[in-house]
Amino acid sequence: MSLYRVGVLLYRELVQGPKNIIFIFAVVVPLVLSLALALLFGTLFSGKPRLGIVDEGSSRLSQSAAAMTSIRLTIFATQVELEAATRRGAIDMGVVVPADFDAQLAAGQPTTMIAYVWGESLLKDRALLSTALVAWTRQIAGQELPVTLTTTILGDTVALPWQDRILPLLILMSVVFGAMMLPASSLVSEKQHRTLTALAITPATTADVYLAKGLLGVGLSTVMALVVLALNGALNERTGLVAGVLLLGAIFSAELGIVMGVLVKDVNSLFATIKAIGLLLYAPALIALFPDIPQWIARIFPTYYLVQPVIEIVQHNARLADIAGLLGVLLALIAVTGAILAGLTRRNYRLGTV
Amino acid sequence: MPIPSIIAEQLVYRYGSLLAVDQISFQVASGEIFGFLGPNGAGKSTTVKMLTGQLRPQAGQIKILGIDVARHPKQVQARIGVCFELTNLYETMSGVENLHLFARLFGVRGFDADALLRRVGLDGRGKDKVEGYSKGMKQRLMVARALVNQPDVLFLDEPTEGLDPTSAQAIRHVIREEQARGATIFLTTHDMHEADLLCDRVAFLDRGTIVALDTPHTLKQQYGERMVYVEVLAPDGTLQRREVMLDRADTPAEVAALLQGEQVVTLHSAEATLEDIFIRITGRGLAS
Repeated sequence: MSLYRVGVLLYRELVQGPKNIIFIFAVVVPLVLSLALALLFGTLFSGKPRLGIVDEGSSRLSQSAAAMTSIRLTIFATQVELEAATRRGAIDMGVVVPADFDAQLAAGQPTTMIAYVWGESLLKDRALLSTALVAWTRQIAGQELPVTLTTTILGDTVALPWQDRILPLLILMSVVFGAMMLPASSLVSEKQHRTLTALAITPATTADVYLAKGLLGVGLSTVMALVVLALNGALNERTGLVAGVLLLGAIFSAELGIVMGVLVKDVNSLFATIKAIGLLLYAPALIALFPDIPQWIARIFPTYYLVQPVIEIVQHNARLADIAGLLGVLLALIAVTGAILAGLTRRNYRLGTV
Repeated sequence: MPIPSIIAEQLVYRYGSLLAVDQISFQVASGEIFGFLGPNGAGKSTTVKMLTGQLRPQAGQIKILGIDVARHPKQVQARIGVCFELTNLYETMSGVENLHLFARLFGVRGFDADALLRRVGLDGRGKDKVEGYSKGMKQRLMVARALVNQPDVLFLDEPTEGLDPTSAQAIRHVIREEQARGATIFLTTHDMHEADLLCDRVAFLDRGTIVALDTPHTLKQQYGERMVYVEVLAPDGTLQRREVMLDRADTPAEVAALLQGEQVVTLHSAEATLEDIFIRITGRGLAS
């Protein structure tokens, strides 16, 4: 294998790729779906209120804010950064907590807290954040609420919000469609136009060709999946880990795509195959849509091990150790699919087909 | 014979129960134009696939430029050029882009695409997309692509089939130039006239075996019969054709009788074509 030749072939794929309808679909479909679903279910424009804090001491207010899951908290180092973030709408409200804030309150002394409010923030977000700030301040001051509020939750108390249920589908669409379909369609197209035979008698190896096609799919789909997660406000401080898992998922999908490209003879057969196996590929996401279905069924499908680690990280703030088992299965799937691909390549050489 | 560029020994390839190539052996000398002739299904494509490292022989051995093809196909492919019968260019790319892609894959430094396009008569069309080329232009670009790495051995599969006379002539000219440069040329063709024009030696392949291998001249001497074609004016005013075999004891008498007894309009001597010889050896034509 030659990295130089892989680069030459990848450059061709990059230049010619955007002319391919699959390439356009791989970029456009996840974005359009994300935006459409966000509009439909209100995930994009009515998410959690976003609060920014500059904590000059170690106030209990920051700890209370961090503990509240219904608020998205960002800690800033300086007042300048906080003001800039509020001005550009990255947060709905930003507060500067003075160094002696807790001590002053405990001593019953009046104190000042600077607050910035983004002018375009929703009224409900401002109201929620203001109310929360007042409640935390009273807690620190040692004041008891004059009213005891007794709440009763009605309806399904364990149901996931729709935005959480749809996220696996969006991730799978981004990763599987791009990483699988791009190499598969490119390979089949080269077979149909016989250009693969022309490449086969150059010093470029089959591995060079497969790697170039796979890299395009892996790169594009990983980026698109990250964009989709960002659009859905699902990225947290473990973005690096998410990107790594998405990369592995994209590698697995690309391998599946290349295997399909090797086995399938023409584009029509490729689309027929995709239709036939589509349900299997998206099954984990479809099962996640309906919590009444036993969720263990999703574990039967290989793509579960691609999407579930991502969900664990973005929805449950899982660390690498928490998803190690799932990643182990994903790595095993990558190894098995790679072995199948190597076997098919050897068979093709023996049979004189590409 | 000079040092062979191609050595094929006892090659065998079978597709299931069909024996496509049956223990064929031949050698092609360095700088030689070697014609590989045979009808469809004779085993030509399978042999070429084995020679170019696309297919592993089930038995036998191939050495190209002294390198074992089955063991080191990529080493061999770096030093050969292949022009396929069917067009396999990147149609959405320009001619220059196609050539540059393959030049980079072959690791050619300082590659001059325009000079190569000029050689095949495509100068001025290099920046056009291949999908807008005529069949002849595409074929010339395929030949140009096979030359990007200045190959030591050039495999050409039906390079002039279905082309207009100008395009065919341009390709024949390039083939002779490549031979003059020192390249060995392995030419697969149905066109016996072209093989006769270009090839130093030809091999006739039939049902997976080589049934004859020699220079066209020797084959004609060995298997062909010289003829005299005579056109005579019949009493009703129509032209009639007579054929007289040469090199027979009664030939002089037969010719004399014709000249004395008939009103001879034209008289041509002709030697057997390679196709005649192929039919004579195999009992069937190349089109079958």
